[in-house]
Amino acid sequence: MSESKSAGMFLFRPRSWRRVLRFAGFAIVAALSPSTYGAQAREVAVRQIYFTAWQILPGYTVAAALLSLLLIEVVAASARKYGIAQYSLELVLSVLVLELVPLMTALFVALRSGAAIGAEIALMSVRGELEDKEDAAASPLHAELVPRIASAALSVASLTTLGCVIAVLLTYLAFYGFTPAGLPEFTRIVSNVFDGLELTSFCLKCLLFGLAVAIIPAATGLEAERGVLKSLPAVVLGGLVKLFFAILVIEVASLMVKYA
Amino acid sequence: MAEQPDKSSSPAEIAGGLLPRNLGVKVGILIAFTAMVIGSFIVYVLYARGVFEQTQSLNLIADNAEGVNVGTDLTFAGFPIGRVRRITLRDDGKVRISVSVPVSEAKWLRASSVFVIDVPLFGAAKLRAFTANLQDEPLPDRTERPVLRGDTAEEIPRLVATMRSVLENLDQLTASGAGLQQSINNVRALTERLTGKYGALGGMLGGEDNARKVIALIDRANTLLGSLNGVALKMDTVLAKTDRAVLSPGGLVEETQKAVTQANVILGDVRASLKRVDGILADAQVIAGNTKAASTDLVALRAEVEASLRKVAALIDEINRKWPFERDTKIKLP
Repeated sequence: MSESKSAGMFLFRPRSWRRVLRFAGFAIVAALSPSTYGAQAREVAVRQIYFTAWQILPGYTVAAALLSLLLIEVVAASARKYGIAQYSLELVLSVLVLELVPLMTALFVALRSGAAIGAEIALMSVRGELEDKEDAAASPLHAELVPRIASAALSVASLTTLGCVIAVLLTYLAFYGFTPAGLPEFTRIVSNVFDGLELTSFCLKCLLFGLAVAIIPAATGLEAERGVLKSLPAVVLGGLVKLFFAILVIEVASLMVKYA
Repeated sequence: MAEQPDKSSSPAEIAGGLLPRNLGVKVGILIAFTAMVIGSFIVYVLYARGVFEQTQSLNLIADNAEGVNVGTDLTFAGFPIGRVRRITLRDDGKVRISVSVPVSEAKWLRASSVFVIDVPLFGAAKLRAFTANLQDEPLPDRTERPVLRGDTAEEIPRLVATMRSVLENLDQLTASGAGLQQSINNVRALTERLTGKYGALGGMLGGEDNARKVIALIDRANTLLGSLNGVALKMDTVLAKTDRAVLSPGGLVEETQKAVTQANVILGDVRASLKRVDGILADAQVIAGNTKAASTDLVALRAEVEASLRKVAALIDEINRKWPFERDTKIKLP
């Protein structure tokens, strides 16, 4: 309780990270086992997706479109300036679609739902609800946490897909306008940018983002002490700090794998 | 704390009360859309990468494949018609670049096609195919072809070296005391002389003294030409006199003409005399008996012939005297 409950401390506590990893292992195994998804769990999952993805859809769409347009303009203009306009489309696709849109989605969902999930679970553990369920021979992991984690990860994937569609469409429109004439060249460049390795690392990155956004706040929320409401803010904030750190690590690692 | 009413007061439960009815449908739409987009994008990328197209392979052998990557396009007339699939280093140290070409685009590659790796100063290397004659036999599958390399970056050091030597030469030429400088100085001196008193002559001869001498020489030549003119005039008079002596009335030619006329007259006389001789000889034959009388006539006749002949001789002498150029003094008698 009073022991070092500043949010930043969560980042440097190996015990906290170990707990996150163990929780992640349990959660992934549980999420992959069909028996987890009873009627109640499905309802929780649907609700979670509704909150995480559907409700933020308009805001997310506008943000993705704005970011895409801005980046397309910046890249195209600077490419023209330096005389490498022929590479600008490739540049836009690989920077925007492969790097920025997934990152933006992960941050969006982390802010919108990561904090909420973390707060909710921290509150539950403060109240001792999770332990009570364990007492009642009902696994809180199965009933409450796993559906949320799975649906948060699914939401990240879904929003990333949507964002990529918006980005690709806007890129095509910005470069060729409302005409199908650019399709052959566009197809060729798409095939250049999205080769097997790129696509695999892209999917892996999206999956890791989704898992991080879903698991880390929840796992950290479990660290809240039963009956100590004061520990709540530090735990929730600590979860977010860890989450952003994890997102940063994933992004940097994927860039290193790709370009180093 | 652990009772049911407590549970229903958890934030999720409260939120659940505010949820719309068709929650499942909306989430279903979202997930279906996601799955559809992911599926169609994968199909699109596979299509873009030519998975659904029949391809044939072409192996290009290069000494150096620097700048060529897997995925580099093979272009024909600026259009991509194939893509590098593999790059391997062979045992003999050459590079084999495997290019896959869709069968639909293979028509641009013929047996006579030439392949070039073009490495521009900026940007990735380009693999180009050139086909001069599109009527040639098509390039069979799995053909091995050499590939030429045109590297702008490699040319630069050579270019720089050449430029440096050119610049050094230029430097030497323009250095103070160099040949060019001296030549320019000479030209300047020359032009100064050209604009001087004796103009181009002074410039060409290298000084005013020489120019003065040349001008004196020309003056003398002028005087000489004046005297030559006088000589020529005198010659003219002489020639006119000679003309008059030879061709004027009473001149040499007319005298000669007169002499020839006289000769003609004398020859006519001779002919008449000889005719008479003929008649006399005929008479002599007829009057054979009277030899004495006949011989008297003959004496007279001989005297007459001799007189004629003397006249002829005198005439010939006369001609010889008047016609100094004729050396043949023989006269042919009829």
